[in-house]
Amino acid sequence: MAERKVVDRGGAWCVVGSGPHGLSALKALLQHGIEADGFERAADLGGNWNFGAPTSRVYESTHLISSKPFTQFPDFPMPDSYPDYPSHRQVKEYFDRYADHFGLRDRITFGAEVVGAEPVDDGAAWLVTVRTGRRSTTYRYAGLVVANGHNWNPKIPAYDGLADFAGTVLHSADYKGPDVLRGRRVLVVGAGNTGCDVAVESAQNAARTWHSTRRGYYYNPKFLMGKPSDQMADSLLALRVPLALRRALFSTSLKITVGDFAKYGLKRPDHRFFETHPIVNQQLVYYVGQGDIAPVDDVARFDADGAVFADGSRADVDVVVFCTGYLVTFPFLEQEWLNWQGDHPRLFLQMFTPAFDNLVVSGLIQPDSGQWTLAHWQGVLLARVAESLRSDPVRARGFLSRAPQEAGRRFSAGTHYKDSTRHYYEVAHQDYLAALQDAIHELEQVR
Amino acid sequence: MRGTKALRPWDWAFPPKPVTHREVLSAVPSEPTGRPPLLMVHGLAHAAWCFGENWVPAAAEAGFPSYAVSLRGHGGSAGARHLRRTLSRDYVHDVLQTITELPEPPVLVGHSHGALIAQLVADRYPLRGLVLLAPAPLHSAVGDLLAIAKDRPADALGAVVGRTLSMEPEILFEGLDPQTARRYADRTGPESPLVQWELLLRRTRGPVRCPVLVVGTPQDRLVRAVDVERTAADFGVEPIWFPGMGHDLMLDRGWEDVLATVLDFAGHLPAWGTGVPR
Repeated sequence: MAERKVVDRGGAWCVVGSGPHGLSALKALLQHGIEADGFERAADLGGNWNFGAPTSRVYESTHLISSKPFTQFPDFPMPDSYPDYPSHRQVKEYFDRYADHFGLRDRITFGAEVVGAEPVDDGAAWLVTVRTGRRSTTYRYAGLVVANGHNWNPKIPAYDGLADFAGTVLHSADYKGPDVLRGRRVLVVGAGNTGCDVAVESAQNAARTWHSTRRGYYYNPKFLMGKPSDQMADSLLALRVPLALRRALFSTSLKITVGDFAKYGLKRPDHRFFETHPIVNQQLVYYVGQGDIAPVDDVARFDADGAVFADGSRADVDVVVFCTGYLVTFPFLEQEWLNWQGDHPRLFLQMFTPAFDNLVVSGLIQPDSGQWTLAHWQGVLLARVAESLRSDPVRARGFLSRAPQEAGRRFSAGTHYKDSTRHYYEVAHQDYLAALQDAIHELEQVR
Repeated sequence: MRGTKALRPWDWAFPPKPVTHREVLSAVPSEPTGRPPLLMVHGLAHAAWCFGENWVPAAAEAGFPSYAVSLRGHGGSAGARHLRRTLSRDYVHDVLQTITELPEPPVLVGHSHGALIAQLVADRYPLRGLVLLAPAPLHSAVGDLLAIAKDRPADALGAVVGRTLSMEPEILFEGLDPQTARRYADRTGPESPLVQWELLLRRTRGPVRCPVLVVGTPQDRLVRAVDVERTAADFGVEPIWFPGMGHDLMLDRGWEDVLATVLDFAGHLPAWGTGVPR
């Protein structure tokens, strides 16, 4: 076999993915004087928000469910002209402007899929193999940032009889708009934010809609007393209101505005507020109340005509939309490099692996808030680590040496999340950001 | 100085109100020159015009894309009706919003209270460079207020009870002919009393990684030289002095020399993204 040609990029770092986490990592590295190259599988940046690209999982009607202040990059606020909850088109435009402002676009190779990565020189560098069209190129980098997203590889639970079902089966990953639902009998499985959005669109377009959920949830309104509800939640945090009181205030406000979910025919939540990832959907309960959505139990099995539910009832349907989430996948990395234990990786600050100093994951978080303020600070922290590895390796290694014992530490701000694969990456934003800030201070080099 | 600040719960909970219209004066060289953009921020009771008068066109002539913003409630920007409820954080928001509309990270030029705002912006945004002209201090302007009280007790008392700090020609200028000085002074407008009171507070910032230039004049009747020196020392630089000029360094006679110093600084900055920490 001929020896593979390697392009040596010296002290540069490699960033995989150009979604919000890839962009913020690239920008932070450059800002800290670290050369960096980005690679993006799609033809344009934005990752999940690049609507219409194979990498994108948003649908036509997607709007943010967290409001601007904590969702935006703190050093590049969304325009004043944007509404509280911008649409996916505005989000894409925002990322485009961010990338252009900081000169990131020229640093990214588009249509380039990272197909392999391997540590060399005892972990001092990474060989990254990139495929563009039919050509493969291998580069050598001083470090590797993995920001390939965690919401792209669809997860469909195994059900008896699903193979016999004669209708259409769809994962929300491939759901782009309500055309596939129009005039048909639809079963929506799953009550994540996507499941609730799809159930609502189905209620507006389908002949009939059933919505199957494993448990009852708190369906939060987008606005409370005229203010985006996440800003309401952050007001209580700013005032340092303790968890028990915040919990009481939120369940009371839901009781006053919506009331007992069971009265609508929904399951009553089997957990306390903050113990599951928040669902923000004002319309679901409304359509349930109007009879346009029939809430049903967990699916027990499928047959040719439809689904049978755990309580023995059944529904004959034409279309099933599985809004059952995604599998976290790093196709080009060995599991042990990311300290996988069981079915998910255990990382220090949900970013750093005990196995390598120069392999960082950005974006493996699911906050109870907006996301990109955290993307920004993850970027700053990883850039500080890269900077310290170069200029002050003793300090960098001192920081990273805590990875083995701290890998897997959760940032739940005192809450016990419901045991579910859905909450592997859940973080309470204020708790997690405080930990990032401490780490950033530890690596501060400027006075 | 404190460490980098990520936790800003008040900003998440009570974000500054959006502004419907922001006045930005600009002059951009007809051909790309490779020079960084300059964004200029005015001080109390002024507006974008104070830079638009001389600096914006002259800097563009020298090859720098130049912009000057009117903060909310000032000049041609909206928000006059809410001026009495406006805080410094609203001005920080206005400057950040303006920055995101620029094609690349700018050199931020702040004058007086605008220089205080510029320091707070530098705490959040990775500027290409920071220029502070006769900067109001982060460390509380109590000393400046007392100095004003000694010279002009009525002005100081007025500010304390919420009147706009007096912007008479003799306070702002040393070398202008009286008609021009009068004309400029007459263009100043009202200021938010809350913002003036906030000047008395001690503010903090995190580490600033970009190069910093501090400029002052010993004849300044609003910001004392000791405060300019202290601001410069906080950044580890020496101030550059322009004796014989008044507080409004961008309008008073000799503004060309001050601008030349600023452009020399802005023209020799490392490219964004390759700067090493100081």
